[in-house]
Amino acid sequence: MDTAFVGEHLLPGKLGQFFIILSFGTSLVALVSYFFATVNKNKEDLSWTKLGRWAYRLNLLAVIGIGSCLFYIIYNHLFEYYYAWAHSSKTLPVYYIISSFWEGQEGSFWLWTFWEAVLGCIVIYKAKTWENSVMTVISLSQVFLATMLLGVEIFSVKIGSSPFLLLRNAIEAPIFSRADYLSLIQDGNGLNPLLQNYWMVIHPPTLFFGFASMVVPFAYGIAGLWEKRYKEWVKPALPWALLAVMVLGTGIIMGSFWAYEALNFGGFWAWDPVENASIIPWLTLIAGVHVMIAYKNSGHSYFTALFLIIISFILVLYASFLTRSGILGETSVHAFTDLGMSGQLLIYMFAFIAISAWLIAVNWKKLPITKKDEETYSREFWLFIGAIVLVVSCIQIIATTSIPVYNKVFGTSIAPPTDLIAHYNKWQIAFAFAIATISAFSQFLKYKKTDVRKFFISVLVSFVVAILLTAVVVYFTDIYHNVMYILLTWSAIFSILCNAKILGEAFKGKWKLSGSAVAHIGFAFILIGALIAAATHKVISVNDTGIGFGDEFSKSNNPRENIILYKNEPVKMNKYTVTYLGDSTSGVNTYYQVNYKVFDDNGKVKENFTLSPNAQQNAKMKQIIASPDTKHYIFHDVYTHVSSVPLKEDEHDHNGESDDSKYLPPVTHEVSVGDTVRYKEGMIIVKSIDRNAQINDIKLEKGDVAIGMNLEVKNDQGTYESEPIFLIKGNTKVDFGKKVDEAGLKLRFTNVLPDKQKLELTVYEMPKSESKDWIVMKAIVFPYINLLWGGTIMMVIGFLLSIFRRSKEVKTA
Amino acid sequence: MKKSSIIGMVIIAIAIGVIISTYTDSSTYGSFDDAQKTKKELHVVGKLNKSKVMVYDPQKDANYFSFYMIDNKGKECKVEFTGTKPQDFEKSEQIVLTGEMEGNAFHADKILMKCPSKYTQDKLETTEYKAQDKKS
Repeated sequence: MDTAFVGEHLLPGKLGQFFIILSFGTSLVALVSYFFATVNKNKEDLSWTKLGRWAYRLNLLAVIGIGSCLFYIIYNHLFEYYYAWAHSSKTLPVYYIISSFWEGQEGSFWLWTFWEAVLGCIVIYKAKTWENSVMTVISLSQVFLATMLLGVEIFSVKIGSSPFLLLRNAIEAPIFSRADYLSLIQDGNGLNPLLQNYWMVIHPPTLFFGFASMVVPFAYGIAGLWEKRYKEWVKPALPWALLAVMVLGTGIIMGSFWAYEALNFGGFWAWDPVENASIIPWLTLIAGVHVMIAYKNSGHSYFTALFLIIISFILVLYASFLTRSGILGETSVHAFTDLGMSGQLLIYMFAFIAISAWLIAVNWKKLPITKKDEETYSREFWLFIGAIVLVVSCIQIIATTSIPVYNKVFGTSIAPPTDLIAHYNKWQIAFAFAIATISAFSQFLKYKKTDVRKFFISVLVSFVVAILLTAVVVYFTDIYHNVMYILLTWSAIFSILCNAKILGEAFKGKWKLSGSAVAHIGFAFILIGALIAAATHKVISVNDTGIGFGDEFSKSNNPRENIILYKNEPVKMNKYTVTYLGDSTSGVNTYYQVNYKVFDDNGKVKENFTLSPNAQQNAKMKQIIASPDTKHYIFHDVYTHVSSVPLKEDEHDHNGESDDSKYLPPVTHEVSVGDTVRYKEGMIIVKSIDRNAQINDIKLEKGDVAIGMNLEVKNDQGTYESEPIFLIKGNTKVDFGKKVDEAGLKLRFTNVLPDKQKLELTVYEMPKSESKDWIVMKAIVFPYINLLWGGTIMMVIGFLLSIFRRSKEVKTA
Repeated sequence: MKKSSIIGMVIIAIAIGVIISTYTDSSTYGSFDDAQKTKKELHVVGKLNKSKVMVYDPQKDANYFSFYMIDNKGKECKVEFTGTKPQDFEKSEQIVLTGEMEGNAFHADKILMKCPSKYTQDKLETTEYKAQDKKS
């Protein structure tokens, strides 16, 4: 088929494809050069290193080139490209064009390869003697990532998926046989409305920065084995591992904040497989960081540290396999669909597993593993135990998240637990308790050997004060019914107190431990915040007046969590008096104003705020996509989203025959000008007759008659005008009814009765309640959720302090 | 005994606990017939019967939604759900229900739908460009 297509812009795509090939080529050159630079016996000879450097820097440029071309395509709405057509539309504001950039798998792979390119260039600049070997590993990973975007077929095997695929090559449709097909494609599919949130602009880049940065400590570990520098790699790898943990942790919490702010599942964490996939490598790497520190200071836990650093990166690959291969289809709401790249992802993962396993096996006997046991009262022992608890917690998450994988591999059909959240919480609360407790007392332990008496004295005070504080906290937050909740609260408070003491000493001059103290306090606050918010969040929109189908349902324990509100009819919910005030539309979103008031005993307004949860209405698809709105207080949040709203009528519906069923049976009246017709809520006055009525789209020919009936509708709320039209075209009679939505009426001018000198008016009236505006909504109060977000910020600050300290150590070494 | 071997044993014990817990907590996929036979909650996979009526009338009860689903064995059953009608429900390609049978209706605690993710759908909207044809 050699059609010359009109209006296509092929240059940016060709250029982009060129950059993809370039990025693949340069990463390959970097890999080969750095490999030979590492194995080269002559350390004076820098020619391979130089070549590797230039190849890798060029790789960064190529990756930026891919991104620029793709951005140009999306920004200019070049819908001849599949990616732009599938993920964006003309109405998108610029900042959401950025989010549509990484909505698809190709875009998110690009983010990953971009960060890896940037990080690699920093490693080149910083790594000194480690450059050759570390960059070999990073380049290898970069080669694999580059293949994900290739989108070429070799021996009928498709490798990667290119974001520059043309629409006419991606989809088969008859319009592509026309040369001017582009003029027929007016707009793209648009961005999923749930992703149209400012957090979606920064959450994916942060998350992928975190994923990408995990390759660096991994590369150091592998390089250490490869170059037989078994002990040296830990020190320079530590700041990188801390960076990865910090960024990935921030990215995960951002995602959870986005879920809380933009999704309507009513929470911040749901143990969804996609969420789990991101937290699994985070847990192993944070465990890895701790045992690296233990090894550095005591010589213990060498293999644990090496293993955890390696497995963390492998788990990043496993996580991306889970989320991108479509294997989670039946268990997760937001996994990607399969792009046919699962094989490629598996090769990527198994290649790195094989390299790691082989290097460990070859070097096994020479690894500096101590045979001695740690002292019980030593910091290294408890760092090790803490890491083990983190690993076990991680194993539990993997075990349940991977259920679809077992089904695929073993052909079983096991379903995930029916109460997923309870299943995870049961285990994870216990692990969190252990970790928080260890993070508290181990701060008072010293490496090698500690004075036991001194240790107990310093811990005892915090231990007792923590018990007292816990009693107060659980009483006031009402979580004392559950032993596990009490224990977790205690351990978190204990951790805060112990670490605060360390922090206090830091202010006296012992700055070294301040980073860990701040991060641990932050982590403890995250635990308390998450626990209280999740355990005591309360749905306040409970409908206890529900009648109708309700009887048989009251038996089941499913609470009735949604409530209907009619416009301007206040409803008492919990302590709030809630009123739906009306809606307003801005762009694609409709905002529903819901007013909350709290009155004190004297009837005075104590609190007064209005929330505007929104919903995107799509009349064509007869559906809504709702996003919540939240009132943030220091100690609690009031969260509200609409669950169902009346769909807006399709305005092109001229004769409206399809929706007549919504009205009461019509009443026909014979009227003349000046008559008044009554209906339930008011009256209709026939004002005059318009003999020259105009109807859109229909041309009147000679002999055609179009008559309009000017009507005035009056009810309590106001007066409205309407003009239904009666048309005789040729021999047929047609009429065009008009709706007066404000009065819940539809009026039709159905006939002219010349012999009686009368006109026939048919009135359709909505049942009383239906003519009113209503919304169904759900409201939840989340207490103390700010501890969770505040704790996150503290933890990040703690990590930053540690990164500064550890990178200083590398420099002074 | 060495400390490390004690730790190793504790880890193995916990790991066994995890596996047992995953196994006992895990549910099974089944059909409506299986649901009729058991009292346990299970997962049923099927398709929405679009020709039968779907009931969601928030003005009567904002927390009642019912529809008919055909499971993978071809059996049809009425499904009741305490809650609002999920967004996009009509467009679902596949539904996974979690719940149990009560009488002749299946009571779902959770509905997970798989939609032909419309933002990456590989279908051009024919109606749109037909309308454009007239002008050109």
